[in-house]
Amino acid sequence: MSTQYQGKVVLVTGSRRGVGRAIAEHFLAGGATVLGFARGEASFEHPSYHHFEVDVGVPESVVKGFAQVKKITDSIQIVVNNAAVLTSQYAMIMPPAAAQAMLNVNLMGPFMVSREAAKMMRKTKWGRIINIGSMAASLEPIGDSMYAACKAGLSTLANVMAKEFASMNVTCNTLGINAIDSDMLAQLPRDKIDAIIAGLPVPRFSQPDDILNVIDFFASERSSSITAQTVFLGGVN
Amino acid sequence: MLTRDGVLEIIFRALNNLNDEMGPDDKFDVTPTTKLFGADATLDSLALVSVIVDVEGDVSSALDRSISLTDDRAMSQKISPFDDVQTLLNYIMELVNEA
Repeated sequence: MSTQYQGKVVLVTGSRRGVGRAIAEHFLAGGATVLGFARGEASFEHPSYHHFEVDVGVPESVVKGFAQVKKITDSIQIVVNNAAVLTSQYAMIMPPAAAQAMLNVNLMGPFMVSREAAKMMRKTKWGRIINIGSMAASLEPIGDSMYAACKAGLSTLANVMAKEFASMNVTCNTLGINAIDSDMLAQLPRDKIDAIIAGLPVPRFSQPDDILNVIDFFASERSSSITAQTVFLGGVN
Repeated sequence: MLTRDGVLEIIFRALNNLNDEMGPDDKFDVTPTTKLFGADATLDSLALVSVIVDVEGDVSSALDRSISLTDDRAMSQKISPFDDVQTLLNYIMELVNEA
C-alpha cells in the first residue's frame, strides 16, 4: 500500500460515486483518512473512510457537516470540491429551479466547504483546496449556460481564495476535467459529447488516472507555490 | 462557564498567534486597547479576519455552542465590536451571557 497520504485528512465532496468516489478511493489507497460529504448514504466502506450526509448546496447543511467532522478530527489538510449537478438545456427553457440548484451545488457549495475548511487549515498553516472544474468553462457549449458559468466561477473562486489563504500556506487550484464515463455524462446526448471530444487536441475521454495525476500534483508538498491555477485535461485551454 | 478573563485570554492568544506570523517590523503590542479596526488600526483587514475566525472558533469550542462574530447583529452594533480588544471582549461577553 502507498503511504503518500499517510497522516493526511482529506475531505471529498460528492464521494458516493463517479469521479468523487475514484478520488476518495485514491486517497484511501495512499493512506489518508477520508471524509466524504454527499447527500445520500455511503456507497462503500473502508476503515479510514468517514461518511457524512451533507447537501453542499445548503449552507446550513455544510456548517452542520463540519460540526460533525470536528467531533472526529480537528484538522483537514486537503479538500476536493467535486460535488456537482448538471441540467443541460437551452437557457430560454431551462427550469429556474434547475439553474438555481446548479448555482447552489456547483458554486455556493465549494465556497462554503472551502470557507469552513480554511478555518481549520488556518490552525495548522497548511492546506490544499482543489476544485473539480470542467472543460465546459472554456468550451462554453450550447445548453450549458449555467453549468459552464458555475465552472468558470469555480476558477475565479479558487483564484481569489488563493490570495486570501496564501499566508496560511493554503493553495487553491482548479482541475478542469473533460468527459469521463459517469452518471452525469449519461444525461447528455452521446453524439454531442463525441463531437466535442473529437475536436480536442487529445481526442479521447478522460480516464480516472488522468484526473488523479493532476490531483496528486496539486496536493503535493512540492506544489506549495502552485496556486490560483486552472489545469484542463485533453488540451482544452 | 467562560469568564471575562477566559475570553480575554482567547483574544490575546489569537493576536499573539498573528504576531508570530508577522515580520519583525510589523509586530504590534497586544493590550486591552489594541486597535483592531479603523483608520488607526494595528491590523490590516485580512489579519483582522484571521483574528475573528480564531476567536470565533475558540469561543464556540469553549462554550460548546456556535457563536457568530460576523452576522448582521455584529455588523449593526452602534459601537463596532471590532474597534479594539475591549469592544470585542464586551460584545463576546454579551453573547456568552445569552446562553
